[in-house]
Amino acid sequence: MVERVALSKMPKKLSALLNEKGLISGEVLLYAEADMDYNCRFVHHVLILLSDGLVVGRDSKVTDELLDNKPNCNREYKWQDYSFEFFDLGRLSHPVIDEMVVGGVVRVTVDGIDEPICAFTNAYKNILKRLVEVLESLCLKKPLPTDRLFRETKVDVCPYCGKRFANPERRICRMCSDKRKIFFRLGSYFLPYKFQMLIMCLMSILTAVMSSVWPYLNGTLLYDGVLGQNRDISVLSKLPEWDFAVLLLVLALTMASCKLLQQLLGIIQGRAVARVVSNVVCTIKKKVFGSIQSLSVSFFTDKRTGGLMTRVLADASSVSDLFIDSIPQVLPNLFTFVFSFAVMFSLNWVLASTAVIAMPIAALISFKLQPILSHFNSMMHQATRDYHAKMNDNLNGARVVRAFGTEDREAERLASENDRVYDTQYSAAKFDVKFSLVSEIAKVMTALLTWGVGVCFVLAVFEPRMNYGELVTFTGYVSMLNGPANFFTAVLRKWSASMTAAQRIFEIIDAKPDVVETHTPKRPEAFRGEIKIEGLTFGYEENREVLRDINLTVNAGETLGIVGRSGAGKSTLANLITRLYDPQNGHIYLDGIDVRDMAFDEVRRSVAMVSQETYIFKGTVFDNIAYSNPDVDRKAVIEAAKAANAHDFICKLNDGYDTMVGTGGQGLSGGERQRISIARAILADPKILILDEATAAVDTETEKSIQEALERLSKGRTVLSIAHRISTLRNADKLIVIDKGRIVEYGTHDELMALDGTYCKLVKIQNEALKFRAIGE
Amino acid sequence: MMNDKLDLNVEQITSIIRLTPENISFEATPGGFIKAKFEGQDKGLVNIIRTFPLSDADRLLSVRLADGKQEEIGIIDAISDFDDATVQLLQKHLKLRYFRPKIQKIISVKEQFGYTYWTVETDMGLVKFASSSGSAGSVIRHKKGVIIKDSNNNRYELEDLSVLSAKELKKIDLYL
Repeated sequence: MVERVALSKMPKKLSALLNEKGLISGEVLLYAEADMDYNCRFVHHVLILLSDGLVVGRDSKVTDELLDNKPNCNREYKWQDYSFEFFDLGRLSHPVIDEMVVGGVVRVTVDGIDEPICAFTNAYKNILKRLVEVLESLCLKKPLPTDRLFRETKVDVCPYCGKRFANPERRICRMCSDKRKIFFRLGSYFLPYKFQMLIMCLMSILTAVMSSVWPYLNGTLLYDGVLGQNRDISVLSKLPEWDFAVLLLVLALTMASCKLLQQLLGIIQGRAVARVVSNVVCTIKKKVFGSIQSLSVSFFTDKRTGGLMTRVLADASSVSDLFIDSIPQVLPNLFTFVFSFAVMFSLNWVLASTAVIAMPIAALISFKLQPILSHFNSMMHQATRDYHAKMNDNLNGARVVRAFGTEDREAERLASENDRVYDTQYSAAKFDVKFSLVSEIAKVMTALLTWGVGVCFVLAVFEPRMNYGELVTFTGYVSMLNGPANFFTAVLRKWSASMTAAQRIFEIIDAKPDVVETHTPKRPEAFRGEIKIEGLTFGYEENREVLRDINLTVNAGETLGIVGRSGAGKSTLANLITRLYDPQNGHIYLDGIDVRDMAFDEVRRSVAMVSQETYIFKGTVFDNIAYSNPDVDRKAVIEAAKAANAHDFICKLNDGYDTMVGTGGQGLSGGERQRISIARAILADPKILILDEATAAVDTETEKSIQEALERLSKGRTVLSIAHRISTLRNADKLIVIDKGRIVEYGTHDELMALDGTYCKLVKIQNEALKFRAIGE
Repeated sequence: MMNDKLDLNVEQITSIIRLTPENISFEATPGGFIKAKFEGQDKGLVNIIRTFPLSDADRLLSVRLADGKQEEIGIIDAISDFDDATVQLLQKHLKLRYFRPKIQKIISVKEQFGYTYWTVETDMGLVKFASSSGSAGSVIRHKKGVIIKDSNNNRYELEDLSVLSAKELKKIDLYL
């Protein structure tokens, strides 16, 4: 996410001080800070760019603190300790940033001498780059790049807690966000399943009641009542005068029914859970994928989204875990907890106090040691992941390993990773044993203490006397307390993890695409295919322009060849015409309509791209060719395949056009895949065709075949052809040469050859290379 | 790239120009930058680049013009070939170019929502920074220690892990 800021904004106190000193004469254009000096020390600097000069303020003290994650964040500066210097614009020239491995130096020529104005770490790079750009314009008396003064700047730190946003595109601080809101928003996904949720809660409560009765049946009734043949127990006194053998049978049947009923309740609950979980997880995934489909390409190229999808799937499960495993269990556990407490205290308050006293200690031990155990487990997982990655590397590169005879070295490398896995597993297991031991000792000590004191009551050492059955009932309730105690400790952790997971899901669901269709999209009546580009400037990242000030017109039906080195910006131009991205400045017109005002489906239908990277979807050959229009006539698909020189090889496949390709399907060679993608483009019948290195990855013979197909495809269309092999572009109507994001040459092949510039040199180099190839062949 | 070097033959392109005190001299400009004179010709401001910044920092240094093209003048075999004053000048430049405070004490390390927050004492004072957790590129193994890259790509060096106290090692174990 970005924030629009006026860059001239500087602290009021500083502004007042500089006014007082009479240092601010002209208009303040830009305010920036830096954190180092040229001698590699942390020294805070302020740079105030004025319309008539530059004021530089340096802290007289070397700071002993660098707050990397909070540049310029609510920090109090003692401006009186700063020394200020004013450089008149007339004295300054050639401002540049000398980029270092970390940060850089602002270098300006002052009175003919190169001076280091300040140095900086990376947090200050962007703002200082802008300052230097504006200063350069001032020095050269060029118009000010106003977009540099009021441009959106990325803010990736929470202004409240100073922590980094997990996703800088969405300014949500997971620390400061309101988890309750997320909880209720999540709850809305479960609303359609109210009935099932109600059943789940009801079943849980009934199960809890059953469990709570069990110690009473198992203890007091069995031992003291039936086996002890004592009718004084209230339940027994209400029953008819049965024989104790019959009573035993009735009790056994009751106990068995109790267990059976519990199982039955479990089954009903399980069915309800299965229905709700699968539906909710499915809905969340649908929402996420639906949202992803509408997002711009930049979302996918953002490196932070690399492992996003796998996480989302895990997140959806984590969220439903909380709602299914935990939320419905809160009431039953609370009930069990309170009920057990009440029974224990009603049976014997002294014994109850003894049992309870050790509980917080056990809980504390568990609470303290659990994170350490998680730490060991994470280390173990990390080591295992590294081991798998290395093994994967080794297997994928098996040919290289054999070719260079490095089997032994690879085995050694793998062995060292394996040792690490062993070490971490051993450490985790050792700690796990320690953890279990400590927590078991705590539990056993509590039980022993309870039993010890209880026995004293049974033996009448303490008053009032207890029966053995009562003691069994009592200890039954003590052990029942463990469940709710563990549950509530776990649910707290689960809550936090689940809400974080939910937040990540909502980040995707709520993400807004960068490229959006206008409210009133335009559709040309008869699309001709004219392209006009005016003052186009674009960069994937802030301050890194890939294309600068591009102006170009391609008439309908013309072929334009685009030539340039790798990274010159050729493919970026293609991406902008197809509106995968929007330019920062300038316009692209298709048939006179700004591409931003054009309907999405119109752009997709009118512009098609065949690139070096072909993608074959899982499906039949027919599905792949008819991708843009699945209802198309089969004959049309065959015609397209014939035009793409793909028909013959498709016919040779056992299942012809019904052959399954893509993941898990029939393998296709690079040329075959390429020809299928050309057939796909032919079938889409676009008016503008972009060929982005379409034949770069195939052999000469296949290239010839593809080239033929492309020529057929190009007829009657506007073609933008990007190619490394310039020979393929010789017949283009016009050629442009792009270098460092700018068009440096424009004209026909003959005109450019006559110019003897970059194009001419490239042609000569390739001709030389072809001679080499001829010798080689 | 290729077109600029069209007129050069392969030998010219691939040969290394060795820089020695005999063919190159360096001096500080009044502003503190480095100026070079190569074979008697004034080359203006230059940058010194380590070709192996991690494994062999003081050998095979590339000397390049400090203008936009950054053309290479040649390569210094070993910095020690030069006199003390030159070494000092070059080292000062290299220190800034490869700026990375050396961590002397780890005060706290905390992981939260995908970032690891470090508070460390360095040779340049107290530093707080955040590195991306679980990102393979945020820690570089270097000799006996590690280099930690923060989320701004600033670097901090832990020179020797073996000198850390058991308590400190335990704190950072998982994050490395």
